[in-house]
Amino acid sequence: MIEVEHLSKIYGSTPAITDVTFSVEPGEILGLLGPNGAGKTTTMRILAGYLPATNGNARIAGYDVHENSLAVRQRIGYLPETPPLYPDMTVEGFLHFVARIKGVPAGDRPNKVVAAIERCKLEDKRRVIIRKLSKGYRQRVGIAQAIVHDPPAIILDEPTVGLDPRQIIEVRNLIKSLAGTHTIILSTHILPEVSMTCSRVAIINRGKVVATNTPENLMTQLTGGSGYELEIEGEAALAKQVLQNVAGVSLIESIPTAGMHGHQPQTNRAYLRVISKPGKEPGKDIVATLVRAGFGLHELRRVNATLEDVFLQLTTEEKNFETEVDLAADNKGEAA
Amino acid sequence: MGIVLSNIIAIYRRELQSYFVSPLAYAIAGVFWFIAGLFFVMILLGPDGILPAVAAIDAQGQQLGVPTPPIDVPYEFIRAFLDRMGWLLLFILPILSMGLYAEERKRGTLELLATSPITNWAVAVGKLLGVLTFFTTMVLPMLVFEAIAISGSNPPMALSIPLLGHLGLILLAAAILSLGMFISSLTDSTILSAVLTFAVILLLLFIDLIAKIIPGPVGEALSYLSLLKHYNILIQGIFDTSALVLFASYIFLGIFLTAQSIDALRFQRQ
Repeated sequence: MIEVEHLSKIYGSTPAITDVTFSVEPGEILGLLGPNGAGKTTTMRILAGYLPATNGNARIAGYDVHENSLAVRQRIGYLPETPPLYPDMTVEGFLHFVARIKGVPAGDRPNKVVAAIERCKLEDKRRVIIRKLSKGYRQRVGIAQAIVHDPPAIILDEPTVGLDPRQIIEVRNLIKSLAGTHTIILSTHILPEVSMTCSRVAIINRGKVVATNTPENLMTQLTGGSGYELEIEGEAALAKQVLQNVAGVSLIESIPTAGMHGHQPQTNRAYLRVISKPGKEPGKDIVATLVRAGFGLHELRRVNATLEDVFLQLTTEEKNFETEVDLAADNKGEAA
Repeated sequence: MGIVLSNIIAIYRRELQSYFVSPLAYAIAGVFWFIAGLFFVMILLGPDGILPAVAAIDAQGQQLGVPTPPIDVPYEFIRAFLDRMGWLLLFILPILSMGLYAEERKRGTLELLATSPITNWAVAVGKLLGVLTFFTTMVLPMLVFEAIAISGSNPPMALSIPLLGHLGLILLAAAILSLGMFISSLTDSTILSAVLTFAVILLLLFIDLIAKIIPGPVGEALSYLSLLKHYNILIQGIFDTSALVLFASYIFLGIFLTAQSIDALRFQRQ
C-alpha cells in the first residue's frame, strides 16, 4: 500500500533523511519511532506530497507521490504535527469544508462528516467554534479531518502529542479501530505507543531507518529476549570469565552504575547483566557456577528486555559510552 | 473542470465566511464607511466643496452679468468621490489582503491545502474572489451617497459614467488585492505583509510621477504601469481597453506569482 524506497531529503547541505526504505501492507499500522529531529516529520511530509524528496521515491496505492501528486492526495488523510484548523469555523463546518476540498461528492458529504464526528467522539462539539475547543478536542478534530473522506491511507504525525492520559488511550483505540480497512502510518517518540498500537515498527535515527520489525520481534531479536541482572561479591572481570562458559548465556555486560535503580553501589561488588540465548533459561546454572567458583551472590533478578532497551541500544549507544566515562571521572573526584 | 470549480467555490466560501465572523473585518468596514461618509459631505459641502464653488461661480456671473457655463455637479461629484475612494483603498486594501496566506502559513492550514487534491491556482482564485466580494459588499452602501447626488442631475446622467467608475474601482481593488495576496504568501507575518503591500501600492500609484523624470521609452513604459493613471481614465467615464488590460494583467500576475510562491515554499521549507 505504501512503499518507500531509498528516500533521501537534503536541506541545503544537511541531510534530514538518508536512504529510508520501508513498506506498509494494506490494513497495517506502521509506527515510525525515533527521537526528536530524527527525520520522522520530513518522511511523512514527503509521503503526504507536501515536500519533494531529493532522491528515491515513494508510492501510495501504486501512485508516485511526486509525479502523481494529485492522485496520491486524493487517497491520503494527513494529520501534520500541528493540527491544521481554521479557528473561526465550527467543527461541522470545517469538516464539510475539508470533505469538499478532498473531493467527496456533495451527496456523500453529510454522511461522511457525521461518521467522522462519531468516530472521533465529537458529537457534543459539532457546532462549537474551533477556537473555543481544548487542545485534546482540537487534536481529535485534526484526526477527524484526516479520516473524513475515508482515505485508504492515513498519515498521522504524532497523533497523541499534548493529550492527557485518558485522551491518549481514546486516540489509540480510535487508531486501532481504523486498522484493517485503512493503512496507517504514524510517528511518535513515545515507546509504549508503538507496542500498543502498531503492528510493525520502523525505528529511525538521524535520518536512517535502523530497524524494521514487529515490536515483539524487535525485542527478542535485538537483545536475545530476556536475561538476568546480578549483584555479586567479587571481581567483575573474574565473574564475567566464569559466566561466559555457562550454557545458554549469550552476552555479559557490566551495568552502568547510573542505570541502577534505588540502592547505592557498594565497593567490591560487581553488577552484571547476563543476556540469555533465545529460548534458554540459564538462571540455575548461573547460580551454581557462581557458587562453585566462590562468588557471593546477593541478587539475581530476571529482566525482560523492553522496547525501550531496543530503542536506546539502537539510537543512543555512543551517548551511553560517554556517560559511563563521565561517571568514572566523577567517582574518582569523589574518592579524592 | 467541475472539480476545479467546486474547489474554488469551497475556498471562496470559507474565505468569505471568515470575514463575516472577524472583528477586524467589521472594524475595517466601520472605518471605511465613516471616512467615505466624511468625503461625501466634504466634497459636496466642505469649504473647497463643489456646491460652494458652483455657488461662487454663479454669484460671480450674476455680478458681471455674463451667463456662466453650466456645471455638471453630479458628474463632478462622482469623479471627485471615486478619486478619493482610490486613495482610501491604499490604506484599506493591505489590511484586507495581509492575512490571505500569512494566516494560513501561521496556522499550519497551508499544509492541509497543499496536501489536498486541489491546485494552488484554485486556492488563489478562490481567495481573491472571496476578499473581493467582501470589498464589494463594503462599497455597496456608498451607492446611497451616489444615488443622492445623481438624483439631482438634470438632464439625467448617462448610467455608463457611474458604472464605468465602479468597474474601475472594483478592478483597481482586485489588482491591488491580487498583488497583496502574493506578498502575503511570502511571509507568515501579517504585519510585514501589510507594510510591504502598502509600499508596493504606493509605488504603483506614483509610478507615473517617477516615469516623468525618466525620459524616453523607459519612462513611457513605466507610466503605462501606473494604477492611478488608468483608474482616473475609467472614473471620467471613458471606456479604455488599455486600462482594462492593465488591471487584468495585474490580477493575473498576482494569482500566478501566488501559485508559484506556494510551490516554491514547499520546495524550500526547512
